[in-house]
Amino acid sequence: MIGSGARRILITGGNAGLGLALAKKLSGRHKILLSGRKSKAEVEGALPRGCGYIVADQSDPEMAALALIGGIRDFGWDGLDNAVLNAGIGLAAGEGIDSTEAIRRTLDVNLAAAMLQAQALYPLLRKNRGTLTLIGSVVHTGSATIPAYAASKAALHGLARSLRSEWKGQVSVQVLHPGPAKTEIHAKAGYDPGWIRALFLEAGDMASMMASAIASRRSPVTLSWARYLSGGAYMGRRL
Amino acid sequence: MTGPHRRALVTGGSAGLGAAFVRWLASRGYAVVVLDRDQVEPDAPLADFIQCDLASRTQLDSVLPGLIAAGPYDLVVLNAGISATGRFEEIAARTHLEVLRVNAEAPMVIAARLFEAGAFAPQAAIAFVASLSHFTGYPGAAAYAASKDALAIYASSMHKVAAARGVSITVAFPGPLRTAHAETYAPEGADPSRRMEPDLAAGLILADVLSGKKTSIPGRANRLAAIAGRILPKPMTGLMRRLVYDRLKR
Repeated sequence: MIGSGARRILITGGNAGLGLALAKKLSGRHKILLSGRKSKAEVEGALPRGCGYIVADQSDPEMAALALIGGIRDFGWDGLDNAVLNAGIGLAAGEGIDSTEAIRRTLDVNLAAAMLQAQALYPLLRKNRGTLTLIGSVVHTGSATIPAYAASKAALHGLARSLRSEWKGQVSVQVLHPGPAKTEIHAKAGYDPGWIRALFLEAGDMASMMASAIASRRSPVTLSWARYLSGGAYMGRRL
Repeated sequence: MTGPHRRALVTGGSAGLGAAFVRWLASRGYAVVVLDRDQVEPDAPLADFIQCDLASRTQLDSVLPGLIAAGPYDLVVLNAGISATGRFEEIAARTHLEVLRVNAEAPMVIAARLFEAGAFAPQAAIAFVASLSHFTGYPGAAAYAASKDALAIYASSMHKVAAARGVSITVAFPGPLRTAHAETYAPEGADPSRRMEPDLAAGLILADVLSGKKTSIPGRANRLAAIAGRILPKPMTGLMRRLVYDRLKR
């Protein structure tokens, strides 16, 4: 139940960015299992204390889903209260046209991997009447700078809408659309936001808003300045 | 808008809505290039047929140079699509991947490479065939709906790139059609007479495409469904659940 006792929470893409910020926020009260592309040795020390870690490279969606299921079983979990499918990449498109490689990688990592993971995690989530959270983006309505990324997030929005209906009464499904946050995603994408970065929300504040949106089980939820200024990082439900 | 030297590309032109696009274009004097997995005896003379299973990345990569060389195109219709209906958790993972590849990834790659290569004639148009489910959700075909959402948003994200090259982009959102594709995926007990004839849908969509409209929703009932989905997304998804998901064969 929400607000009572430690939950079993899986966060993909949990070794950096918003995933790591969310893990830090929740690791005091809950049991956290993270996944990422990097090896255990590379992430050791960066992860919050007590968190488990699974190596799962999302650029191979089928293998990533198998790795997650194996990792959860090896960790001794037979059910999940929350799965936060947060792992994602963005690749800036030169002159607004994505390379073939960028389109395929973006769709594999952000969309296909999340889709197959949602499918693989369904029995574990259903067992605990858990919540599946897909992390979208405010650009799910379109972006001329990162068309393939926007498309992948639009698909997650649509996937959540259909699955929320299909799994009603078994697993809560939601999609959260964070606005820009101060993480490394822009540098990794080969994109310099410049002075405008000063306007991005802190990753920790974004993680707080994500946590309360997850506790609310509502969908879709946009997490940006409007929500922040109305107290989104400090008020609302506690996960 | 008609002329003997106009050139069009239609993906998935061998059957269903794609074949209707081909008939419409050929009857108006277009030289039509078709890309499809299956070669069938065409209803209309084709300028070229390119065989390719869009679920295969290697096949698409190998036909792309020929596809670009067969231009420049006055009109490109990215129509090819497959579906998979059923409970999301029961559909094979591989099938989910194929739906994403054929419906979203392949047309995105084709569009990007055509724009990059400048494979368009002056004042050309490109149409992306998405689905009315963009406005309603589609319980019972979650991966299909997601793939079509990706395509619709990719298309609208490319308006700036297209405009700079003098190309107009139209996103088409057809509703249920009376095609073999629909027969295969429609739930039991669905009434085929309520689905639109593909030739009618193709004509309505292409009229919008050639007049440079950004979106095309063929048919009044479908336009009303799209508006209802915008205003009341949750009840409309609930309605789709009753029409599709609750009737799935068990």
